[in-house]
Order: sequence, then structure tokens, then C-alpha cells
Amino acid sequence: MYNIGILQLTQNLDDAVQGFKYGLAEQGIATQFHYLNADGNVGQLPKLATQLSEYKVDLIFACSTPSAQAAIKLEDNIPVVFTPVFDPVGSGLVNSMSLPGGKATGVAGMVVANAKMAFIQRLLPAAHTLGILYHTADSNAIVEVENFRKLPSPGLNLVEIPIHKAEDLSNLPDILPAEIDALFLPIGRVVEENFPTIAYYTDTINLPVIASHAPNVSAGALGALVANHYQLGRECAIKAGEILRGTKAGTIPVDVVKTPEVLLNNFTAQNLGLNLPVDLVAEAAEIFE
Amino acid sequence: MLLTRNSVELLAPVGTWDVLEAAIEAGADAVYLGGKRFNMRMFKTNANFDDNLLAKAIEYAHKHNVRVHVTVNNLISDREIDNMRSYLKLLDKLQPDALIVQDLAVLELAREMNFSVPLHASIMMNTHNEHAVRVLQDYGITRVVASREMSLTQLTLLKERTGIEVEYFIHGDMCIAHSGQCVHSGVVFGQSSNRGRCLKPCRWPYELVDMTTGKPIEGPNPGPYKLAMKDMCLYMNLPQLIQAGVCSFKIEGRMRTADFVRNIVQVYRRAIDNYIADPLGYTPNLQDWQDLYNSRARDFSTCYALGNPGAKSIGYTGEREPRFFSQAVREADMTAPFTISAATTNDKQTDPVLAVRVADLPSLRAACQNGANIIYLGGEACKPSIPWTLTTITQAIEEANQYQAKVVVTTPRITMERECGELEQFFTNMNTIKPHGLMVSNIGALRLARELSDLPVQADFTFNVFNHLTAQLLKNNGISKATISLEATHEQVVKLLHESALPLEMIVHGSLSAMVTDHSISMAILNTSECGTYDHILDTRQYALLDTAGELHPIMVDQYDRSHLLFTKDLCLLPHLAALSTVHNYRIEGQYYTPELIGLITRIYRQELDKIRLQQSRYQFDTIQLDKLVAASPRKLGLGAFRYRISR
Repeated sequence: MYNIGILQLTQNLDDAVQGFKYGLAEQGIATQFHYLNADGNVGQLPKLATQLSEYKVDLIFACSTPSAQAAIKLEDNIPVVFTPVFDPVGSGLVNSMSLPGGKATGVAGMVVANAKMAFIQRLLPAAHTLGILYHTADSNAIVEVENFRKLPSPGLNLVEIPIHKAEDLSNLPDILPAEIDALFLPIGRVVEENFPTIAYYTDTINLPVIASHAPNVSAGALGALVANHYQLGRECAIKAGEILRGTKAGTIPVDVVKTPEVLLNNFTAQNLGLNLPVDLVAEAAEIFE
Repeated sequence: MLLTRNSVELLAPVGTWDVLEAAIEAGADAVYLGGKRFNMRMFKTNANFDDNLLAKAIEYAHKHNVRVHVTVNNLISDREIDNMRSYLKLLDKLQPDALIVQDLAVLELAREMNFSVPLHASIMMNTHNEHAVRVLQDYGITRVVASREMSLTQLTLLKERTGIEVEYFIHGDMCIAHSGQCVHSGVVFGQSSNRGRCLKPCRWPYELVDMTTGKPIEGPNPGPYKLAMKDMCLYMNLPQLIQAGVCSFKIEGRMRTADFVRNIVQVYRRAIDNYIADPLGYTPNLQDWQDLYNSRARDFSTCYALGNPGAKSIGYTGEREPRFFSQAVREADMTAPFTISAATTNDKQTDPVLAVRVADLPSLRAACQNGANIIYLGGEACKPSIPWTLTTITQAIEEANQYQAKVVVTTPRITMERECGELEQFFTNMNTIKPHGLMVSNIGALRLARELSDLPVQADFTFNVFNHLTAQLLKNNGISKATISLEATHEQVVKLLHESALPLEMIVHGSLSAMVTDHSISMAILNTSECGTYDHILDTRQYALLDTAGELHPIMVDQYDRSHLLFTKDLCLLPHLAALSTVHNYRIEGQYYTPELIGLITRIYRQELDKIRLQQSRYQFDTIQLDKLVAASPRKLGLGAFRYRISR
């Protein structure tokens, strides 16, 4: 029987926990779970991590970057498996993706930029210019924008639309370039949370929005290519299994999302006067009406 | 009153199965949860139970002797009524211990179906007076979740006068506005707070400015989050709460985690048990208090439980806001896309009736001279206006008679004891003064009006008429005409008019309030900044909140010191009247306008409505008319919620 700690930032990521538990059960590993959730309060995480170490857990499954950071800071040598961390190297959790080096490994929740780009082009074949709206104080957003910048042949002209604080969204019409055919929202809390303000403005000018945060699709984005958190949890369980059988976490490579899923919103498509491409509809994991 | 373990119910929120188990284990007497179909937590769909899980949850709770209240507390539109009927059938079979309901249509359906599960009036019904309770009791409501604005003393009176069970929010996230009376999110975003989709404009940052100049008010600024209510916590006031006769202590938070709910339930459980076991020997457990405090989201306040808390209840700095749901937007102007869902023609050939709400006699005169058929006056008088007196109402009736116009006297939106006491006298006086009718804003005032007067009674927009069954219920209760919800879209308006057996009126122009709050927004800030020497009665300035989109929300303060926060743009549906020709009854909300402007608006609407009736399909809107309104209006004009395809 293993004692497994789960350090959660917000219940919005609990699908990953379900997948993780299911994945361990699949391998026949007997476990007792200690689930602690900071309910969105990042400042609580170090305290909760310490609490897990007091439970003498054999491993911590950390959901989100701040959870993973709190877990690896513990002095005890408890291995950490993380997801859906966007930038494991940049956030200091591992030395490299192939050889993490420390006491942590996991599955990055990043859907790679060229996959997202290809998805956008399939969804909006007539688009030429894509705006990228991102929050300059969000490290994940910066990484993703950088990944888009580095695409060798993006296929679409990219126009960056930086915002410095959430309230800048109130005056979005002033900073939205006229020439863009669609708006892409990279990962990033401020943009995700305040999505209704973005959609409010883009709806009035019939500008399609492609999101990175699944709940933004049901809230009115045209579509998104996202990681399935349940699947990420299951993949983490495989890594956890290896660790519990004696492999050092630092030697297990960090994976990235292998099979991202397509989410579409048909209500939004109708409002935009668009037909969703038949092949994408067939592939979609969920289509909101 | 001898207390037993059953005197008080500790009622916990449940969003998922984990939380259900945690709440029961921690000692909740009852839990409330929503199905997937109609309830107030629509954003986070995995925080709700599908039909099968709902059945299992009820079975599980009952096995542990815990009651289950199912929330069915959304406004529903006509297209949702069949689904609601089948959902109620399911719930009748599943037999939870109560349903928590908002829409009056559900009361009508429950009666039609001989529904066997007890009904509780949701906080969204904004129940705050004994007369409303009596109407609800007639419909089989056994318990009300009382308005958050009621104090413990008021709750005691409410319970003693009616015998109703009183449920009260004792812990968690609170609204600043009167529940069920906030249309900010619904009108601006098409996502209604009365349908579980609030985008929380009350959590936006604002600056307090002078309404006339738009300039910031000088003096210390407590912070930008002028409407950000702190979290409710009555842990330290449990004895007062129990002795007040509140029977159910409700913890907010159906999106919370199992740990969070478990901790709060345990802490309150211990306190309630200790108090009931030995009331005199009771002291709050300071360790428990410390735990509650340390795991708080926002800072705590006792909100209205011990009286109006003023600035103390507001987290002005915003530093503990857990998250935001939107940022301020520029409200839709006249150029915003407008969805006309169906062709509508006026087949009845009746003359359109135009009503105008005014604040004084010169405005009444201007409206009558320019073609108003009905004048609304009375109710709240917001500074600088003064309340209508019996004398001025008498003069108004005489004057309107000269123009063959009718006078309908309105009453305040919120009618707690003071206002109800005043209304009793007022309605009795109206029998002598004899206006052409009365208009009421809540079911309590409706009951009073019907009891004390034989005059025809209308229902204002505050009744949230969103479907024809709600209209039917009002008709059954003696209402002669009702006003359509401000959150209804064009499609919903057309459908509602088609289905309703009750004549319905639609507000087509005017300054509308986004929310009404007992918190006096400007006074709270000025009191803080001027060390309590500020005298709001002598203050003649008018204030507004400036949002981050650069728009001004006027704060209208009424004679009860309530704040009515207006939209930044005034509603104007003039260019779309042809698409609304089945309406028949149109209203201009002109109580914040000058007599000159009221004259102009009334004239233009009269002309267009008459033209539409005469010219039928040949009618074409001339934008010159709109230009005149735009030039004369104190604020920019906008399209409100009607422009949306569906109100969500």
C-alpha cells in the first residue's frame, strides 16, 4: 500500500486527478490518497505541501505549476509527478525534458504551437492574419507566444496584441488591429478568466476567437485544441508507477501532450455565419451548441 | 424557546459527490445541490449532478438521515417550460426534501402537477416582507431564503408574523445587489445572473466621480473595488442567530472543494451543538474561529445581519478577490448588431399605448402634451427629485385628465417593514385620490395593494417576467398588466407576447438601473474619507462610478438611501419599433430626464408608433428621429439585452 499525496491548485483541474487515480488502479497499485486543494489560493500551496510531507507520502502528484513548485521545494526527498505544467524547464521544475535531473517528472500540458497553428488553419481556411492576445506578466503566455514566433513557416501572418493588466481588456477595440481575421488566445490566467469581455467585443465585429482554455469554448470561443486532463493524469500514473517500482524520477523523461483534442462551438459558428469543417466536426471530442 | 438538536438546520453546499460525502461526514443536517438542468451554477457544469447521480445523492443522503434540497432556481424562458415540466416530474419521483425555486412559473407548474415535494423560495426571489411570504405560503412554499439585506431582528418579525421557516446565508460569498434584482450581467453580456451566469460587474474596479463633471472626488480613496462585498461570516454571532429563530443556516459555495466545505461544516456543527447543549455556558471556540479566518477567501463581514454595515462590508482594495469573471466593457451602442429573430406584424390594429414614467409635474405635462397615454409616477424619488405627495398626485391626476391620459401610481422596488407600513397608508389614501391604477414591484406589495384597494394593479419589470406562466400567475393574482423582463431578447419578447394571456408592456427607452443595493455606495466612501463628519442629507452633489472602459454609471440615491446604479447608456429601441409591433404597450422610463427631454422623446416615439400602425409594411425608419434623441440625451444610447439572439 502506497501513500500518495495529491496537491491541487483548483478543482477545475480535478479531471487530471481522476485520470491519475484511474491510471494507478489500472496498474493494480494499491494506494491511499491524501488530496489537498488550495482552492485557487497559490499562497496556501507551500503549507499544504508541508502537510503532505507530514503524512509521509511516497509520492506527490502535483496539479499545476505552482503546486509542482511547492512540492519540489520540500526538504524531504519525495518524488513529484506533475501535470498540466506548461513549461517544466522554464518554471525550474526540471533541467531538461529528456533528463529532468531532480526529483520531479511529469507530462507537460502544452499543446505544441505548430499543432495549434495547423488546427487554426483547418478551422479557418480563409484566414490570413492572426492576432495573438496575451498578458505580458504571464510566464506561460510569454512562452507560448515565443513558440509561435519561432514557427518556421507559420502559414498565417501573426500580429501580437500584448496587454499589461486585466483592465486593458476593457478597451480592447482600441488595440485590436483591423487587419486580423481571427484572434488566438494563448494559455494565461488573466485572458482565460476575463474571456467574456474579449468575446463581448469580438462578437460585435464577427471576429472568430480560438482559445487554449477548454471552458472558453463552451463560453463562446469558436474552438480550441487542448490537452485532455484526464488523459494527462493517466499518463502521469504510468510515470508514478515506474517511480514506485524504484526508478528515479529524475531519469524519467517529461512528456508533452500526445493526443490533444478538438473542441468546437457550433452556436458561435452560427453567429459568425461559418460552417464548421466536416473533418474537424468528425474529429471533435466535444461540440457545444 | 427550548432548543433541541432539531431547532437549527446546518445546510451545506454540494457541487460534487466528494463534497456530498464530506458535508455529511462533517455533520451537515441538510445539503443543497443542483441538477444539470436548471440551477444557479451554470458555468461550472461539473459542479452539478446529472439525473442518475441526483437520484444516488438523494438515496445516499437519506441513508445518513440528511435532507437534500434541490436547487431549481433559474428564470426560465418559454422554450424551456416543457423541459422544466419533465424535470419536475423526475423530481417528484426522486423525492428530495425540498426544491429551492426562483421563477414564479415553477409555482404555477407545481400547482398544475400536484407536486408533492415542499418548495422553498430561493434567495433569488428577494423575499423581504411578510406580505410576500403570505402569497408564497398560498402556493405551498414552506420556507423562504430571506434577503441578505434583512437583519436578524427583521427575520424574527418575519417568522413570528407568518410562521414561515426562515433560511439565511450565514457564511460565504455575497452579492452587493438585491438578489433577483440585478440585471447588469444579463443586459450587458446577455448572460443573466438570474440564470446562474453572472459575470460579476460588482467585482470590477471603479472610480468615484462627480456625475456632472466626470472628475474624481477628492479625498482619501479606500481602493478601486467599490462594490466588492466581503464574505459573510456569522460564526461569532451564532447565539443571536439561533435566538432570532432562523431555522436553517445556509453556507454558500456549491463550487467549493470537499476540504473547504468539510472544515466550515465541522466548525459550525461544533458551535451549534455546544450552544444548544448549554446556551449560557457557551463561548465561541477561538481555535475554530482562527481556522475559519485563516482559510478565508475574502475578509469577513457580518453583512446585514446586525444592520447595514456600510463601508465595513466592502473589500475596497481587491487584494483578496479570489478571481475575476470579466472586465468592464463599453456598453453596446446603437450600432451594435441586432438580431431580429422573426417577422412580426401587428395584426390587431389597435392603437399603440405609450406610457411614460416621470418624476415631477412639469414632466407629466410634457409627456401628456406630446402623446403619452399613461403616466407612471411615484415609488422611489432619487436626488434631486423629491417624493410625490398626496397633493401633487392629486394635481397630476387632474392635469392628466385634461389630456385624456391616465395616471398609474407606482411603489418602491424594495419594500421592507418601513416601506410596507408606509404603503398600507398610501394604498388606503389612493382609494380616495383615485388614480387610474397602481403599479407594484414585488409580490408583497401586490398583496397589500389588492387587499387595501380596488384599483387595477400592474406589475413592474422587477417581477422578472420571462415566460407566459409567470404572467399567468400574476394574472391569477389580480394583476391587470405586467412588464417584460429587461433581460429578455427580441426572440423571447415576441414569443412571450404570443403566449401570454396577460397584457404585457415593454420598456423601450430610458435610464435603467443595473442593480439596486441597500449599500449606499457614495455615502459609504465619503463617510470613510471624511472621518464620519460627512452629512449626506446636505450633500447636493451627484455621483457616478467610472469603470475601466471609461464609462460613467450614475449612482441614483433614493429617499431610503438605496443606491440605484444605472447603466452607462440609456436604452433606446426606437429604430427597432417595427420589429416590436406586436407589443402594443410601450414604456419610456423618464424619471431621470428633464421635462424638455421627456417632451421630445414622447413626441418622437408617438410619431413612430403611429406611423408604423398606419404604414404597416411600407414603414421605414428615418434616422433623423434618432439623431434628435442622441443630440438631446444626457447619456449615450444603447440597445440593452434585446439585441442578443438568446439570453443565456
